[in-house]
Amino acid sequence: MLTVLLVDDDAEFTEVACTIIEFLGHEVLTASSLEEARDWLKKETFDHILLDFMLPDGSGAHLFDELNSLPKSPRVTLITGHPSVKSVIKGLCGPNIDYLVKPIQREDLEQVLSGKPQGKSKKEDSIKQHFGLLIGESAPMKELYKLIERVSRTSANVMLLGESGVGKEVVAAAIHRASESEGPYVATNCGAFSKELIGSELFGHEKGAFTGAVGRKEGVFEQAEGGTLFLDEITEMSIDMQPNLLRVLENKVVIRVGGTKTTPVNCRVVSATNRTMEEIAQSKVLREDIYFRLAVFPITIPPLRDRKEDIPLLARRFMEEFNAENGSQFTWKDSQLDTLQAYDWPGNVRELRHFVHRAAIMSDPEKSAIELPKTIESPFAQKQSTSPSLQAGRTIEDVEKELIYATLEKVSGNKTTAAEMLGISTKTLYNRLHAYGDLSKDEQ
Amino acid sequence: MNEDAFQKLSIYVHDARKPLNRISMQAELIKMALNGDVPAEKALVALDKIIASTKDCSATLSELTAEFSNTHVE
Repeated sequence: MLTVLLVDDDAEFTEVACTIIEFLGHEVLTASSLEEARDWLKKETFDHILLDFMLPDGSGAHLFDELNSLPKSPRVTLITGHPSVKSVIKGLCGPNIDYLVKPIQREDLEQVLSGKPQGKSKKEDSIKQHFGLLIGESAPMKELYKLIERVSRTSANVMLLGESGVGKEVVAAAIHRASESEGPYVATNCGAFSKELIGSELFGHEKGAFTGAVGRKEGVFEQAEGGTLFLDEITEMSIDMQPNLLRVLENKVVIRVGGTKTTPVNCRVVSATNRTMEEIAQSKVLREDIYFRLAVFPITIPPLRDRKEDIPLLARRFMEEFNAENGSQFTWKDSQLDTLQAYDWPGNVRELRHFVHRAAIMSDPEKSAIELPKTIESPFAQKQSTSPSLQAGRTIEDVEKELIYATLEKVSGNKTTAAEMLGISTKTLYNRLHAYGDLSKDEQ
Repeated sequence: MNEDAFQKLSIYVHDARKPLNRISMQAELIKMALNGDVPAEKALVALDKIIASTKDCSATLSELTAEFSNTHVE
C-alpha cells in the first residue's frame, strides 16, 4: 500500500481518481493548489505524488525542489494536458519522475503506482493479435481480417495465395479459429510427400494396401472431420493425383487406398500456394476444375514490403517471444526499428522473424541493447546495409564511394551508364575506382 | 497564426481537455460499478456527469470558434 498525494484543481477529477486509487489499495490525500500541497508535505510522508502541471497558483514543477529536499523523496508523476510537455519534463526531471497525459485511464494510474516504467508495458500490450494469431494494423491487413471474418461464417473452401514467408499457414489457422468449428485443424504439406505416399496421406489406407502398410490409417480428410484441412503447397501435388482429390472435393467421400468402402468427410479445405493466379493458369500445375473447387474464395496475403508500417509491431512481438523464452530483456531502439522498416524483406515475415532472433542471439544477454547485424543477409536478395548511409560523422569520400558502388551494382557494372547516372565523366569514374584499388591499370 | 493567437488557442484546448479527462475517469468508474467493485448507483451519477462534461466541452469549443471568428480571421 502506498500513501499518495493527488494535486489537481479539478474537484470532479480528484474525487473519481481517489475512488479508483483507493480501490487499487492505496491511501490517498488531495490538494487543489501548490499551497495545499506544501501543507500536506509538512504534515505527512508520501510515497507517490500525482501532480497536475497547471495549478491555480503556479506550475506543478515548482514543487520539484521541495520534494527533492525531503528526507525521503517520493516518486512523482506529472499529469499534463499536452503530450509536448513530456519532452520538457524529461529534460527537467530525474529518473524519479514520470508523466501521464490527460485524459487518464485507470490502467495509467495502476501503472504509475505499481512503479513500472511508464509506457513500456502499455506498448507491449498494444500489439493486438487478430484472431489470436495475426499481427498488423496496416490497411492491407485490415482488409485481410475482413475477408477472414467473412469467409469464416461460411463453409467455403479457401485458397491462400502469397509469397513464401507471408504466413499462409497462420492465416489458415486464423480462418479455422474464426470459424469456431467443432472439429480439429489438420495441416499437411502436399509438396512433402512422394507421388506414392500422398494418396495414403490424404485419404488413408487399409491394412496391407501396399508394402509397409502394416495397419489401417486415417487420411487427413478423415482426421479433419468437422474442422479445417490445410493443404500447403497445393500446386506441388502431382497432376496425376489431382483427379482423386477432385473426387473427394466433389462427392465429399473418401475411399482409403486399398479399400472399397466410402467414408463421408466434412471439412473446410484451405489450400495454399506461393504462385500467383496467373502462374497457376499458365503453368498448368493445377487442373482448372480443382482450382475452382479449392478457390471458391481466394485470398491473397500481402507481402511484408506492402505493409511496412507493421514491421515494428512484428519485430517487437518477435523480440518479446525471444525474451519470454530466454529470460532476456532486449528492447528495440527507434532507430533500429526504422532500419528494419526500410528493408524490403523479400523473405517476408519469416525472414524478419529469423533476423530478429539472430540479432538477439548475437547481442549481449546481460544488456537490453540489441546489436543489429551489419547487413541483412538474405539468399533472396542482394545484401542491404543496415547502417543508414547518410549519417553525421561519415566523410563525403565514404558516402561517395558507397554511391558509386551502389550505382555500378544497379547497372550491372556498366561504367559508362553508371558515370552518366552519377553525373560525372567516365574518366572521373575510372579514376575513383582506381583510387579505391578496384581497377587494374590496363582497364583504364 | 501569431504567438498571441496560439497562446489563446492553447488555453481553449486545455479547457476542452479538462472535461475529457473527467469523462475518461467517470467511464472507468462505471466499468468498476459494472464489475461490482463500487455501488451500482455510482454508475448512474457518473453517467450524468459524463453528459454534463460533454456539454462543458462543447461549450468550450463554441467559445473557441466564436473567439477565433471574431478576432483572428482577417
